[in-house]
Amino acid sequence: MSRIELTHITKRWGGFYAVDDLDLVIEDNAFVTLLGPSGCGKTTTLRMIAGLETPTTGRITIDGVPVFDSDAGINVPANKRRVGFLFQNYALWPNMTVFQNIAFGLGNIKESGLSVTPEGEIVRNPDDGGAPRKLTKEEIKRIVDRVSAIVKIQPFMDRYPGELSGGQQQRVAIARTLAPGPKVLFMDEPLSNLDAKLRLEMRSELQRLHLTTGSTFVYVTHDQMEAMTLATRICLISNGVLQQYDAPLTVYNRPNNTFVADFVGNPAINFMNARGNQQADGSFALKLLDKYEAVFTPSESVKADEWYANAEKEIAAFEAKIRPAEKTNKDVPFNYPVHMVTDIADDRKPDKEDWALGVRPEFVHVCDDGPVEGEVFSAMPTGMETTVRIKVGNYLLTSVVFGGVTYRIGEKIRFRFSGNGATLFSRVNGRLVSTGQVEIK
Amino acid sequence: MTAVINAPSPWKRRLNKITTYLSKPQNAILLALGIVLTVTTIWPAFSIVRDTVTIHKGTVDTRGAAEGQVYTTFNWTDMFAPSTNTAKKLATINLWTPLLNSVLLSIFACIGSIAYGGFFAYLVTRTNLKFKKYLSSIFIFPYIMPQWTLAVIWRNLFNSNAITKGADGLFASVLGVRMPLWWCQGMFPSAVVLALHYAPFAYILIGGIFRNMDANLEEAATILNTPRWKTFLRVTLPLVKPAILSTILLVFSSAMGSYPIPHYLKLSTLSTKYVELNVQRTGEASILAVIMMMFGIGILLVNQRTTSGRKNFTTVTGKSGQSTLVNLGIGKYILSGLYIITTLFTGIVPIILFAVETFLPNPGDYSFLTSGISGHMTTKWWVTAENVSENGMYGQKGMLFNETIWNAFGGTLLVAVCCALVAGTIGTLVGYCVSKNRRSKWAAYVNNMAFLPYLMPALAVGVAFAKFGSSVGIYNTFLLLILAGTVKYIPFASRSALNSMMQLSGEIEEAAIIQDIPWWKRMTRIIIPIQKSSIISGYLLPFMTCLRELTLFMLLCSQAKIITTLLDYFDEMGLYAFSSGINLILIIVILLFNALVNKLTGASIDSGIGGDSK
Repeated sequence: MSRIELTHITKRWGGFYAVDDLDLVIEDNAFVTLLGPSGCGKTTTLRMIAGLETPTTGRITIDGVPVFDSDAGINVPANKRRVGFLFQNYALWPNMTVFQNIAFGLGNIKESGLSVTPEGEIVRNPDDGGAPRKLTKEEIKRIVDRVSAIVKIQPFMDRYPGELSGGQQQRVAIARTLAPGPKVLFMDEPLSNLDAKLRLEMRSELQRLHLTTGSTFVYVTHDQMEAMTLATRICLISNGVLQQYDAPLTVYNRPNNTFVADFVGNPAINFMNARGNQQADGSFALKLLDKYEAVFTPSESVKADEWYANAEKEIAAFEAKIRPAEKTNKDVPFNYPVHMVTDIADDRKPDKEDWALGVRPEFVHVCDDGPVEGEVFSAMPTGMETTVRIKVGNYLLTSVVFGGVTYRIGEKIRFRFSGNGATLFSRVNGRLVSTGQVEIK
Repeated sequence: MTAVINAPSPWKRRLNKITTYLSKPQNAILLALGIVLTVTTIWPAFSIVRDTVTIHKGTVDTRGAAEGQVYTTFNWTDMFAPSTNTAKKLATINLWTPLLNSVLLSIFACIGSIAYGGFFAYLVTRTNLKFKKYLSSIFIFPYIMPQWTLAVIWRNLFNSNAITKGADGLFASVLGVRMPLWWCQGMFPSAVVLALHYAPFAYILIGGIFRNMDANLEEAATILNTPRWKTFLRVTLPLVKPAILSTILLVFSSAMGSYPIPHYLKLSTLSTKYVELNVQRTGEASILAVIMMMFGIGILLVNQRTTSGRKNFTTVTGKSGQSTLVNLGIGKYILSGLYIITTLFTGIVPIILFAVETFLPNPGDYSFLTSGISGHMTTKWWVTAENVSENGMYGQKGMLFNETIWNAFGGTLLVAVCCALVAGTIGTLVGYCVSKNRRSKWAAYVNNMAFLPYLMPALAVGVAFAKFGSSVGIYNTFLLLILAGTVKYIPFASRSALNSMMQLSGEIEEAAIIQDIPWWKRMTRIIIPIQKSSIISGYLLPFMTCLRELTLFMLLCSQAKIITTLLDYFDEMGLYAFSSGINLILIIVILLFNALVNKLTGASIDSGIGGDSK
């Protein structure tokens, strides 16, 4: 089993916090993606777990064994952590053939209780009491044959990396990483150098690989689509701070804050500024899109004042941890985008009656009897679905309509908000109040 | 399965941290190199400074204290605040004139080499000049050849008995033209010769940027309908400014420490004055060396400020298409003609003249040109097999049979091979370790320590090692020569290694670390094979430079120890045939080596850093 646990991991370069007080548990056999915009600290996190980067403070355990502990001064070097790492630019050794690239690491293994099945699988049985030995040439060949079959690169074994295409190089890199049979596999944006079609293909192959190897996968990407489709859990990071760590659909349906809601989902979620109060029945009476009255019915029971009191307590606790001055960029709530035809700056400081309503494009339901009227601002049909931008007053909302519908730009259409997947955030701190249903009167 | 860890003692924790730090080979090597380089750089420098406040022979009586007994500021006050009129005159002769000359010489050499070499770099990379291939290989000849070559050639061409005394040069004896004194000796010829010698620097450094520069940058200006001269001034020139700056810094410090050229062309500079004063007024001579060191440190500081600034552009953006070459029209023939003629004099003529000189019966006796070869040329300088004093041989055997020469040649080879091996290895390690620890202050320190001798005038380094050598009792040994050469040449290797290691993505090695491949195997199987050519350059540059080094070594050993000091000795004796012959052998050996290594490995002297330091 390979459970990875990060406790209070911080990486600081001078006054810049790349990763700040990160707690994370990666369960055995999980496929976790570290997701976030570029420069958010996700690659740093991965490299710290692999041992290629040294955290400033904190503690990391793999399989219960501490590999890093700043208090105890423990830092197990990367080569002793027994992990696999797939690099973004593959890092194939240009002076070796494909075969040599894969075999090179194998020639180095020296353990007791080592055996290789006829199929080329390494079996480790360290407690059998035998003397440590190296792999024989035949065993290495068997292993290389097996892993190269998995990624289908047998025809290229004698070529040099320079003679392979990007996709083939990627496969060689995967084979090389798989060869020593690591229990944990780290991948740093492995697909970002491939073209769109190949990327889709490799994505599904990685998923199969996760299943067949049974290893724990930790995967870094800035592509939310990749994270959604591959992961069992997504770890979303922004500015070095953990935003949400949940299953992909939870992240999508119940984002913790406006940043998560905006980052995940394509086309992006529609944000609307709303103003209003919670009513006695628990629903919120809101005014939005300048003139429309709406009712938001939370799907969870929530009391606005209790919720605020609670949030303030949590924020205070977070701020207490913040080291002075150096990272002011992190306590400003995320500035979520409200799409408008002409941008109007809203400088008013939000108070407790200000809310941000988030509605995903699939819940903007175009129908003839909809309560809101708008006109088509742009329409992008892909065949399977059509993304329509609807202009309401000065505001723009995105809707996804399934099927090949053709719209004329400027055409009047009506819509309503359907389902109970709408999300209500506080504008004071950007946090999710509740999911629920929104109805325009 | 959570392991329970008892809170370790602070000592244990510290120990853990240290072992973790040192368990990375690059850290352990860096630590060791840092200590070694600090000692080998700081100690010699310290010896000179101490020398300036010590009482030496010659001032023992006037100071009333025994040699080396008391520390004194006498040397400094005598130089900078002389009390009597005689002392004032002496200070002018010994300090201010040489200082002024040195600075002026360095400035002129910078201007000359950048104008001549930089313009050539532009022509070769950006225009449709003719005979580019031939010109660009002949152009770096002066840089490959020993520094004094051109000075000697200048002397052999323009000297005349009537003006400069001594033997007539080619111009005087054949054409009857006697050049004026300012043309033959002093500032003008020294500056010209230095500029010609360092022009290849400018060509290599500036040309390197021109060659890699993305043509789109200039094309973008062309598309906006910018006139060509404006594009050149506002786009091209600012982009090569860093290269120009580093050329200036290199040439400046090299020119400042140059001994042979001002020595042969009779200009009083800090380095020639140092050699003159060294015996009788050691303390004051050391002050001159300290001044030169100060210039070196100053240049290092300037260098750091300029290379770390915001204007350190990335000119290599990768997608450089075929750039359109400037059409010179008829100029392409005129300019290439001009360069063919000048490079003939800097590249081919020296070799021929040296060769001819060894067959002349007397120095400067070019009578064979007018009255035929037989009887007016001789092979005696080469083939005399016994000790004879007649025929102007001064008791020396001919060069082919002269053990002194071949011993010295063997000594030079020994020094060059050892220096190359040690300096190349250390430099490569420095480059590797520094590239692995880019952010570390210690790594930056080690890098600077390794780099400092590069910008130190060679003579100052020589002086420092002479003092150091006598104080530890290894004066006049090969060990001292090798030590000095190694320290002075580590920068060649560390620079070329660092440059290429920086290009190598760290992931290449990390991919091996992750698979638990030991360090030596990572080096021998991955890093070294990939970086083969630049590592070979790192060994090649010290080797070639060592072969022709005079300034650095001349204070460290007796004259017959190595070939360059022996050459100097023969030259002073008036055995010009011998000095020319040795020159010829040296040049040919260096050219052959350069060609051989270039052929075998693709590494070449100009693909390295372009740095020489005599």
